[in-house]
Amino acid sequence: MRSKIDKILLIILLIAFSVSIYLIFQWVPQIKASNPAEQIAQRIFYFHVPSAWLGFLAFFVVFCASIAYLATRDRKYELISVASAEIGVLFISLVLITGPIWAKPVWGIWWTWDVRLTSSLILWLIYVAFLMLRRYLPDGSKRANLSAVVGIIGFIDVPIVYYSIRWWETQHPKAVMASSEGSLAAPMFFAFMFSLATFTLLYVYLIRKRYQLLTLEDTLNKQFKEMEIL
Amino acid sequence: MSVPALEILGVSKDFGRIIALRDVSFSVMPGEFVSILGRNGAGKTTLLNIVSGVSRPSEGKVNLFGTDPGDRENKAKLAVISHEMFLYGNLTAIENLEYYSRVYNVPDAKKRIDTVLSDVELTHRRFDLVATYSRGMTQRLTIARALLHEPSLLLLDEPFTGLDQHAIGMLIELLKKQKDMDRTILLTTHDLHTAAELSDRYVVLSKHKIIKDGYIADTTPDAIREKYFSAESQGAEA
Amino acid sequence: MMRTAISILQKDLRMEFRSKESILAMWIFSLLIFVIFNFTFEVSRLVMLEIAPGLLWVAFVFSGMFGLNQSFALEKENGNLRAMALMPVDGGEIYVGKFFSVTLIMLMFEALIFPIFIIFYDLQLSLGMFRLIPVLLAGTIGFTSLGTILSAVAVHTRNQQILLSLLLWPLVSPIIIWSVTLTGMILSGEVTEAFYPLLLRVGAFDVIFFTLSYMLFDFILED
Ligand SMILES: Nc1ncnc2c1ncn2[C@@H]1O[C@H](COP(=O)(O)OP(=O)(O)O)[C@@H](O)[C@H]1O
Ligand SMILES: [Mg+2]
Repeated sequence: MRSKIDKILLIILLIAFSVSIYLIFQWVPQIKASNPAEQIAQRIFYFHVPSAWLGFLAFFVVFCASIAYLATRDRKYELISVASAEIGVLFISLVLITGPIWAKPVWGIWWTWDVRLTSSLILWLIYVAFLMLRRYLPDGSKRANLSAVVGIIGFIDVPIVYYSIRWWETQHPKAVMASSEGSLAAPMFFAFMFSLATFTLLYVYLIRKRYQLLTLEDTLNKQFKEMEIL
Repeated sequence: MSVPALEILGVSKDFGRIIALRDVSFSVMPGEFVSILGRNGAGKTTLLNIVSGVSRPSEGKVNLFGTDPGDRENKAKLAVISHEMFLYGNLTAIENLEYYSRVYNVPDAKKRIDTVLSDVELTHRRFDLVATYSRGMTQRLTIARALLHEPSLLLLDEPFTGLDQHAIGMLIELLKKQKDMDRTILLTTHDLHTAAELSDRYVVLSKHKIIKDGYIADTTPDAIREKYFSAESQGAEA
Repeated sequence: MMRTAISILQKDLRMEFRSKESILAMWIFSLLIFVIFNFTFEVSRLVMLEIAPGLLWVAFVFSGMFGLNQSFALEKENGNLRAMALMPVDGGEIYVGKFFSVTLIMLMFEALIFPIFIIFYDLQLSLGMFRLIPVLLAGTIGFTSLGTILSAVAVHTRNQQILLSLLLWPLVSPIIIWSVTLTGMILSGEVTEAFYPLLLRVGAFDVIFFTLSYMLFDFILED
């Protein structure tokens, strides 16, 4: 049953990603920009923003799973929070990589200490620290408790981080989707939403897989222990 | 028939992938002295941690004086002695004891501190920093600290390690006194003779399970060793 | 009601003042921060004044880290953290005790560091500087309220100091950024109408962090 759902998900994902790529690179009209490099680089936006969204979604799941763990002490939630944190870090890493790739041709620099860039980096650091903490602790209820606490505090901190850095001026584009008249270009919006949905689906698939792997590891370990005992 | 002071009902505990206890059940009557015996890693410390409310069982339930072990009233009634000192090296013996007597709200603390200090024969060193104490003296102070608030349940996790012969004798005398005062006591130890001398009952933990729950009066230390701790018994108990 | 918290605070302060050499060491260390900074960046006085608030907070925060690391290493050393778990009180109360001791010690360091700062950067003392007091309080409390709980988390690892830095720096960065901004306003004498709302905001987040940590501390003590 489980693997059947996964298979269907995978097939949908393959199709959706193919369509996404077609939409992004063929179907969406060129933006109006003086610099031709910028016109090409702009398309990275369809990966960049959904990755960021996915990061937030993942960290929100870490937050919820952490609360659920502390309320129930069910290892299930611990594993979900780890799986989600790993995926979140992965996708915020993608944000931090795709951002500079876009920025170099457009701004002429890889990195600037701007609001969004800095806060994304801090966000990344928070969850890397979360995963590092788990690396440093032995498996057990202590580790589960401690990481759940950090998972909760970390997420509460996320909006504060964004808020605080807003004090600096931003260069980060606000509405890349705006056409020359300033309104949202319909094809761009559609392609973007499609990409967003595809990425969300990818998250669902990845967390299912990662969670299954983690439970499998647990089961295997328990069985080894069992054999030792019996 | 009185109610048990402690009931352990089908308790299992795992540390993620490591199993520490599986389906452990037994109960202890008020005033009973029970020794928990078992090899290293059998789960003795884990069991005491669950009884003290520091650790939660993964499965099963523990009743301590009729309620959850983590309850404040229970924590106020309980003391733990283990290899951990629970003392600050940068404070004197008196300061350490004053600190804990405030935390545990010990009535007439001054007098009580004097009593426990003389019980463990440390009165002459009471104004010295604990960091300057020898291992044995520190352990004695640990014992004094534990008895400070006159706990009705004592959890002793291998309390004899690190003590010299004299200190062991002292601790045994103290424990006998506690027993006479009808304190409920759980002890884990490797020393079967001491266990036999002090306790009413013994429980043998092996590979995270209880394999024996019996009365000391029905057996001898050598018989216990023969049966559960000899080289051959490893196969037999499995 | 807060008997245990007060006992913990008293005990911590007593031990802190007993090791006077570590207070001195910390004071000299912050002096070094200013000296080294002067060597590595040769900047004009104008630039210096602009970065001075940041520098001041670097010194503060380093002294805070020092205090946090020490405070919980002490508890871990002889199993005292477990002794705390065994105490007949709410974990929150233990948090309050540790929070106040860490905060008071950090404020004491700040009081020791600030005069050097004034002298080194030749700042004019004025009445407006009294506004620094609420800023330092708010910033410090933000730092220590998160620092206390994260330090109690990090102390369970083998590499306590590194891990505390990894956890605390990113989480506390908003508070530090705001504190630096506020301090800058005061030092440059340009206190705008944004000052009090911002100060209030730091205070609000202090309350959030403190309350959250208070509620979560029980889980840290438990196995
Ligand atoms: N905090 C912990 N984290 C992970 N494993 C633990 C922890 N505490 C105990 N264990 C494991 O649980 C088992 C039982 O340990 P313990 O209760 O200390 O045994 P004993 O006190 O009988 O020597 C051992 O395998 C030990 O390694
Ligand atoms: Mg043990």
